[in-house]
Amino acid sequence: MDSSIKGFLILEDGSSYSGEWLSGEERAGEVVFNTSHNGYEEIATDPSYFGQIMVMSAPMQGNYGVDRSFWESRQLWIEGFVALDIDKHNRAWLERLAEFGIPTLNGIDTRRLVLHLRNQGTLLGALVKAETESQAQVRAKQLIQQHKELPGDWVYTVTVKEKKVLSGAASSGPRVALIDYGTKQNIVRELLKRCSEVAVFPSRSTYEEIQSWKPDGILLSNGPGDPAKVEGTVDTVQKFLGKIPIFGICMGAQIMARALGAQTYRLKFGHHGANHPVKDLRSGHIYVTSQNHGYAIKEDSLPSDVNVSHMNLNDNTISGIECKKRRCFSVQFHPECYPGPRDAEVLFDEFMDWIRE
Amino acid sequence: MPLKEKYKKILILGSGPIVIGQACEFDYSGTQACKALRALGIHVVLINSNPATIMTDPDIANTVYIEPLTSEIVDKILARERPDAIIPTLGGQTALNLGLELVTKGILKKHNVEMIGADEKVIRAAEDREEFRKILDRVHAKYPKSEMVRNLKHGMDVAQKIGFPIILRPNYTLGGGGGGVAYSKEEYEQMLAHALSESPTSEVLVEESILGWKEFELEVMRDSAGTFVTVCSIENLDPCGVHTGDSITIAPQQTLSERAYQDMRDEARKILDAVGLECGGANIQFAVHPDSGKRVVIEMNPRVSRSSALASKATGFPIAKIAAMLAVGFRLEEVTNDITKVTPSCYEPALDYVVTKIPRFAFEKFPGSKDLLTTQMKSVGEVMSIGRTFKESFQKAINSSESACGLEEVTFAMEKLTYPNSQRLFHLAQAMRDGKTIEEIYQLTQINPWFLHQIKDIVDAEENLQKSSGIANADQLLSLKRLGFSDKRLAHITKTSEHFIREKRHQWGVHPRYLQVDTCAGEFASSTPYFYSTYWSTASQEKFGIQDGSVMVLGSGPNRIGQGIEFDYCCVRGVKALQKQSYKVAMVNSNPETVSTDYDTSDYLFFEPLTSEYVLEIADFLKPKGVIVQLGGQTPINIAKDLSEGGLQLMGSSLNAIDLAEDRARFKEVCEALHIKVPKAGVASNITQALKIAQSVGYPLICRPSYVLGGRRMEVIETDADLHSYFERHAVVISLESPCFMDQFLEGALELDVDIVRGKDWCAIGGVIEHIEAAGVHSGDSMGVIPPQRIKNDILKQIETLCEKLAHKMEIIGHLNVQVAVKSDEIYVIEANPRCSRTVPFLAKAAKVPIVDLGVLAVIGKTAVETQPEKYSYKQLKEVCVKGVVFPFNKFTEADSILGPEMKSTGESMGRSKDYSEALLKAFISSHHRLAKQGEIFLSLREKDKDALLETIKRLSQLGYSFSATQGTAKFLYDHGIDCIPVKKVHEGRPHCVDRIRSGKVATVINTTSGRQSIDASFSIRRSCIDYRIPCITEDHAAEALLLALTKLHAGEFDVAPL
Repeated sequence: MDSSIKGFLILEDGSSYSGEWLSGEERAGEVVFNTSHNGYEEIATDPSYFGQIMVMSAPMQGNYGVDRSFWESRQLWIEGFVALDIDKHNRAWLERLAEFGIPTLNGIDTRRLVLHLRNQGTLLGALVKAETESQAQVRAKQLIQQHKELPGDWVYTVTVKEKKVLSGAASSGPRVALIDYGTKQNIVRELLKRCSEVAVFPSRSTYEEIQSWKPDGILLSNGPGDPAKVEGTVDTVQKFLGKIPIFGICMGAQIMARALGAQTYRLKFGHHGANHPVKDLRSGHIYVTSQNHGYAIKEDSLPSDVNVSHMNLNDNTISGIECKKRRCFSVQFHPECYPGPRDAEVLFDEFMDWIRE
Repeated sequence: MPLKEKYKKILILGSGPIVIGQACEFDYSGTQACKALRALGIHVVLINSNPATIMTDPDIANTVYIEPLTSEIVDKILARERPDAIIPTLGGQTALNLGLELVTKGILKKHNVEMIGADEKVIRAAEDREEFRKILDRVHAKYPKSEMVRNLKHGMDVAQKIGFPIILRPNYTLGGGGGGVAYSKEEYEQMLAHALSESPTSEVLVEESILGWKEFELEVMRDSAGTFVTVCSIENLDPCGVHTGDSITIAPQQTLSERAYQDMRDEARKILDAVGLECGGANIQFAVHPDSGKRVVIEMNPRVSRSSALASKATGFPIAKIAAMLAVGFRLEEVTNDITKVTPSCYEPALDYVVTKIPRFAFEKFPGSKDLLTTQMKSVGEVMSIGRTFKESFQKAINSSESACGLEEVTFAMEKLTYPNSQRLFHLAQAMRDGKTIEEIYQLTQINPWFLHQIKDIVDAEENLQKSSGIANADQLLSLKRLGFSDKRLAHITKTSEHFIREKRHQWGVHPRYLQVDTCAGEFASSTPYFYSTYWSTASQEKFGIQDGSVMVLGSGPNRIGQGIEFDYCCVRGVKALQKQSYKVAMVNSNPETVSTDYDTSDYLFFEPLTSEYVLEIADFLKPKGVIVQLGGQTPINIAKDLSEGGLQLMGSSLNAIDLAEDRARFKEVCEALHIKVPKAGVASNITQALKIAQSVGYPLICRPSYVLGGRRMEVIETDADLHSYFERHAVVISLESPCFMDQFLEGALELDVDIVRGKDWCAIGGVIEHIEAAGVHSGDSMGVIPPQRIKNDILKQIETLCEKLAHKMEIIGHLNVQVAVKSDEIYVIEANPRCSRTVPFLAKAAKVPIVDLGVLAVIGKTAVETQPEKYSYKQLKEVCVKGVVFPFNKFTEADSILGPEMKSTGESMGRSKDYSEALLKAFISSHHRLAKQGEIFLSLREKDKDALLETIKRLSQLGYSFSATQGTAKFLYDHGIDCIPVKKVHEGRPHCVDRIRSGKVATVINTTSGRQSIDASFSIRRSCIDYRIPCITEDHAAEALLLALTKLHAGEFDVAPL
């Protein structure tokens, strides 16, 4: 421990956590915790985690190394990685974090941090190298301030810049347009299994741009940040409502809700884990789901033709909505999993059924 | 309403006596289930032959039958109770097999009783390996190449196809009984014969070896709506080849990638669906190739299990309780998570800590047995520990095991590394100290490098500390404590004392913090008072609403021979008694199998090692009124002095009173002052002294080294030659510092166990158990009966008075167990234990005296007027209760089954009846003796037993049994007009008596012997009985008891009655 560099995680409320600085540059971000036991590489490459410092509640991290095929996008998006005991023998994960300059803090009392975030709600924070806490506080304050000044449409940062068309494995399957708010690769993989073609569109694509490709259905992907701040997409989605089936996932679900006229709100500390029970209120079936969202759909703002289709059984928040009339449905959790149980993959089949109808 | 209204009365099948592979985890699960069903308003009927269990206590089920777990008995109970359903999934393999038997014999149908939790199809699918493989094929799951073998010849053909090494798995046995790994044709042939005889269906699965693969287990649940959750993933540190019960395991798994883990989870769900398990818990074991990642399914159990108990403790998810609720119609979403109180149970627990389980072994109890771990389970107990990191958790677990205080230094032996054994961890660490690389050790052990690196970190930290000049500051100490080092281990490394380290630590303010086990890694608030300690927490210590002045109860730690479930019964009962007196109770224990570590047993549960360091730290946090050390067996007694010196108030007997009983010399003085006879004794540190003492004490005598507990290395010595041999064999443990005790052996004396409670102005006798075997057999190994059958009433009265006097003189407050021997109407006191004894639960059930409750009242200072001890008398009981005993000799293939002063049994049963012979018969049946109604009894008797047993043999002859006997015994029988076939002793040439036993001609063996030489000579007789599961009686009083039982067996029909 003697030769190690001291590092701090300072939260915007001033609370501080010290540990061992393992790599990366100093950064600020929204501090969120994730209770998934596994899947650090999937999480770090999930664009939904853009702008966030990831606190892993499971203490042992990096244990099983890395694998490029686990990546959920083209790069690591997290603003920091915080854990209690990161593997220093198998250094593959540490090296990957270092390669992307991700600040990595080890030996942190993550339990205290998680309980704090649970009680205070999500907070901004900064990871800094420092000898003393007071030095750290000063530096962190600046970084947090800079972070606050970032533009709010995080989706626009992570989305593809140009339309991309991929051919799927099902030659007789439908053509689906995927609006990329920061999609996980596994959504693409699940679609490719079932579709003849998938076109990935940038988040601010217009109705005309998408319609010119003549999709049979649209999937609104997951993505980072506040749904209310995502620009140039609610209109597009609105125009498709009722015309072709639309399926929304996570951020996609919130965009859909807004397009339907409902509102979204910020959860106290969000859902970030791979063990959340969700009930499909239509079939009664219960899935153990992977979740990662800080915002949710406001139930009393739902228009009368929209039903709540899925419910989170932990806190009874909305986990999915459905509007038969306007041919759309969405879920707040991740049927594409990674990390997490694959129980809900059937929802992609359901989407195909909607398209076929 | 989720509860199906049709279930108004349900019968739960228990698991019977504790055996290797089936221990108190089923008391834990059964108790949980009983409580859950009762809370739903269901009338719960329970059958279990094990009186040491908590589930058989009156408060747990509505109606309790302590009866043999056989289909005939259950048939009678069903007729009497007429329940609506029966649950076979809570009592281990015993209950599952019994459930299946009840179906196949049409007994359930006859009584119109439904089997819930698992049906016939499910049990068959999981337990019949061929059936199971068909299911695996259906879901495209892989499994090791294998074939079912039903005879030797076929077995040899299959071996050709598969190639060595080969794994043998007998069908329908528990804990992999009779199984193992064969490396050569010769070994295979021998093992196959044994395995075929172990399997009740004479079927053995002969299987491709997956030795060296990584092993995992998933604990899963499914409800009737198809909701599926993985409660816990468990990874074995030991690779395949070591039974999972003998493996060091950790939860959650650590070395599988997300993909690999989800693949496994998906497969588990598919298997469960395909097996057709409608609802309940199950575990599925997998092996994963370390390089290719290829995964195969090893087995699945559609019931609660040892690992489900571990998983429940590891996660806070009460699998058994929920399994019971699912069985009566609930769905997971309808069961609230007990811990968070707000979320439903259809989630998967998230852990922010690491759990380690380390098994405890007893090879030293079975001379001749090889300390080798194979696919047949041999451990007798286990500990679990919780730490924030693997290293902290792992070292805490070593501390919990009570057999080491860390990775202690050993003299490295290569075979202790290459062949898995109980000492492997220490040799592994030593190999690292001696310079072996991780890669080398991996090649030798196949233990995943991830674990090796973690252990290496610990070894490195020790080496760094050794090189430095002591611990410099608080930071350094804290970082060492975060690696899980005990103060004692740090003292050893820095060549200081434990006291010194503790003082330093306190001076520097380095204390552990207590965190909650909350099932959700902190995501939701939780109020469940289930705690573990860690040095990783930087938060200020939360008080969790705990008020000062609670009472700490120390548990008994890992099960071992001589200290098991009985003490958990005492603890749990004690906790309840304290709560009735309005005390808040904190339970400390390290054994995951127990009821005492269920989070709703006590007010505060601390899952911690039972060493003075950890207990004192808890006390520092809790600020209790005091600690009770007399409920958890010898473990708490052993640390009582340290606790008292550490400032913790002992409640009940003082340290002096404890010492009076523990220190033999002081105890003798007390006895002498009261004019109580004790056996003549002496102390010798070498053979010359010993021979002198032998002259004054006289043969036979009992020798034992002074520091040894629980009768280890204790032997009856009859001649000078034996004495020489004893001192030669045990030379390593006998010295001036630890001399050998030599006691007069009261041959043929009747032994009795007396359990007594003393309050400040009162005494109560809990009961007196008469041993069936004569003195010389360890009290834990002898059968016993209450009320005493052979002792005269006036002698009994004298014994009671004597014990009361003794308790008074010693100033005992609370429990005292006194062992007494009676020879020629003279009473001798052999020893006293200042605590609850092994016989307490048996007495409580048999005599219905709430002895633990009385002990608690004494401890908290209640007077005679408040307690009214005169209300209770064990003499009021209307039934005769016999304690049966169960031994693990079938697991230790090289060990001798002869009984002696060293305890070897793992469990006990109870036979209850109005009539002594029926109680005996039930006790024999419950202890897994296969009593034959007819056939040949083989006799080989030592000279002095011949006359004594003549009458017994004549009566056996009248019952229709025929006899075979060795020369001397045969001649004796001829002389007394009893016909018999003479057979040769083993050294007299073939065919000899063992050939006869192995050929299946013998139904029962009575073989009494003494003297080292003849014991060795007759070893193979007893061994063959174990292998062929033939009752083998090795003591004359036991032979008489057997006769009584056989007489009853011939008389037919017996009755059942609830407690």
